[in-house]
Amino acid sequence: MGVLFKEVEHIIDRQYQAEQEFLAEYAKEKHTIANPYVKLNPYLIAPLTALVMFENEKPAFAKVTVKGKEKAGDMMYRPVSDSEHMVLPIYGLYENYENTVIIELSTGETATLKIKTEPAGEKLKKPTSMETTSEYFQDFVMMVSPTSPAYTAAYDYAGDARWYNTLNLAFDIKRARNGRLLMGTDRLVAPPYHTSGIYEMGMIGKVYREYRVPGGYHHDEWEMENGDILILTQYLPRGTVEDACVLVDRKTGKILKEWDHQDVLPVYPVGGSGSQDSHDWFHNNAVWYDKKTNSLTFSGRHQDIIINRDFETGKLNWIIGDPTGWPEDMQKYFFKPVGDGDFDWQYEQHACMILPNGDVMCFDNGHWRSKIKEQYLEAKDNFSRGVIYRINTDDMTIEQVWQYGKERGAEFFSTYICNCEYYGEGHYLVHSGGIGKKDGEYLNVPGASMSEGIENGSVQLSSITVEVKDDVVMYEMHLPANYYRAEKLHLYDEADEVTFGCGERLGSLGVTEEFLTEAPAEEAGMIPDDYHAKIAKEADRLVFKASFEKGTLVMLNLEGINGAPNRHYFVPTTKRPFLAMCVGTFLDHDPRAVEFPVSGEGIQGTYKITVTIDDKKYETGVEVTF
Amino acid sequence: MLKEVNSAEFKELAGKGLVLADFFSTTCGPCKMLSFVLKDVEKEFGDDLAILKVDFDQNKELTAEYGVSGYPTLILLKDGAEVGRLQGLQQKPVIVKLVQDNK
Repeated sequence: MGVLFKEVEHIIDRQYQAEQEFLAEYAKEKHTIANPYVKLNPYLIAPLTALVMFENEKPAFAKVTVKGKEKAGDMMYRPVSDSEHMVLPIYGLYENYENTVIIELSTGETATLKIKTEPAGEKLKKPTSMETTSEYFQDFVMMVSPTSPAYTAAYDYAGDARWYNTLNLAFDIKRARNGRLLMGTDRLVAPPYHTSGIYEMGMIGKVYREYRVPGGYHHDEWEMENGDILILTQYLPRGTVEDACVLVDRKTGKILKEWDHQDVLPVYPVGGSGSQDSHDWFHNNAVWYDKKTNSLTFSGRHQDIIINRDFETGKLNWIIGDPTGWPEDMQKYFFKPVGDGDFDWQYEQHACMILPNGDVMCFDNGHWRSKIKEQYLEAKDNFSRGVIYRINTDDMTIEQVWQYGKERGAEFFSTYICNCEYYGEGHYLVHSGGIGKKDGEYLNVPGASMSEGIENGSVQLSSITVEVKDDVVMYEMHLPANYYRAEKLHLYDEADEVTFGCGERLGSLGVTEEFLTEAPAEEAGMIPDDYHAKIAKEADRLVFKASFEKGTLVMLNLEGINGAPNRHYFVPTTKRPFLAMCVGTFLDHDPRAVEFPVSGEGIQGTYKITVTIDDKKYETGVEVTF
Repeated sequence: MLKEVNSAEFKELAGKGLVLADFFSTTCGPCKMLSFVLKDVEKEFGDDLAILKVDFDQNKELTAEYGVSGYPTLILLKDGAEVGRLQGLQQKPVIVKLVQDNK
């Protein structure tokens, strides 16, 4: 009887401890290039990375070559290492393979190391098809972030995984100016996929910083020129989601500025796409800052629109989207199509961006592909594409100047997620990452939520990533899972220097809203095992997990000890039907599973934890101190 | 006053003074919690407010008439006319403010 209680260390703390341990091990004996210290997966979450450390008699530059399975697969880079203390990151190892790594020093010494890696398991998906050449793709990798059970991973020209990460990272991937990756954290703050914020992580797997935001993170972030970060969020107590953006100070994590889309747009049911509801009325899935116009461009999937707002004032400048059904006073913001070529509006789009010449690019999912319910398209008749629009904000006209994907029809159709990238004029990436079939029919709903079907094989998810140069397909990778975004990059970036020391948790989780009314209940002893209750205590919060039938009244009670006040939290057991289940990797297989975090902010003190379930109050036997 | 009513009783009582209608379901956790909140609200207003609880599943015509699409939904009526609506579980201060603003 009772609950399973566990103190859970934050990844930053676990990694610091691991770092202390391997540095202590390294210090036990003198290592030279003849007997270098090799630590595979030094930060616990990137199994295809290693650190090689040794002392050299003189300062030297190093050249590292991770040998490919064939010559074209070699990955060579020159770490910043003009010191006698050599700390060399190793990137690009193959999984389940005895890798050969050659280190050559500018002082003439060389070493050949053998590094054996473990099998990655099923979550490291293997491409089902890869069409490109090593001449075109060179030593880049394509990094993808999953929305169905799979690892975030990076694949080379041959389709071999050369990096993967075992944390449940989600949504966007961006390389920051300091060479590190910005990605959503694995710490769920609200179902089904809103997490605590952003990790800044080196390719070695070390989390240097967590930027926490009170409303939680979803979908996308953007690094400003001065390093500050735009993060998509929401105001959870308001009862709506995915309708706000904050600017976070890079050094302190403090929120500097906020943009609330309810300030400039009418809410549900205005402009609703086929997936809109009152809770998720806008579904802001992308943000882009344009320096030339000092403006922010946002994609709102559930109104089928891309909007542009002034960075300083927040004023609405324009809207790209099908104006059908929008109120008269909003029509002035919409564009009028011109030109003789093909033109389609975008529907339930993702990944909006402003190109250097002012054109607007996005991934047009095309989900439903109409503002009129009676004209909604079925998946088998639909298409998704990358599209570029040319806009004229003086006469409010719009012309479609490029597209890729329409011609492929349903086989390239993703109801959700996906992105485009701009490499230069005529050179683009188009990633259709949310393709799905159920019993052989194309899915018209996100496949990420269909965990049972994925497991029993009735649902097949896939992802197609294409690079097009001057209208010629130069690269095409098929993966057997759904992936939110694809980002081409080099594993090594000279700015991404491995540094030692404990990472930082910045920003704030905010204060979890307490429920002011206490549900009356009789004492009923220890909580029964049937509820599978678990409590995890982290440094900055606690997380309550259990299983309840839909509609059960549940309150989590923190009963104050030694003068701390009693605190009560209402735990929702009725799941809101999410029409846009963008990321399914946080979902529990048990539909009764409930996960409820309580921030440690504003509740300093020691508490006994009890749980009210309908008219009974149960002990958990757990005490926590914040 | 706080009582559960059927459609006929609701129509009889809803036309006079301030009435807070609570459209609830017996299978809904937030509805159960809201019932405790409403007991506190009743204490605050006494006879100045009638709180009428309407079972969403048992009174389909009434829910349709008031355009209630989910539960819990609170509708504040003043002399029979709707003057405010709240959807989902609400804290006591939010409900108290709605009533006070419309007294």
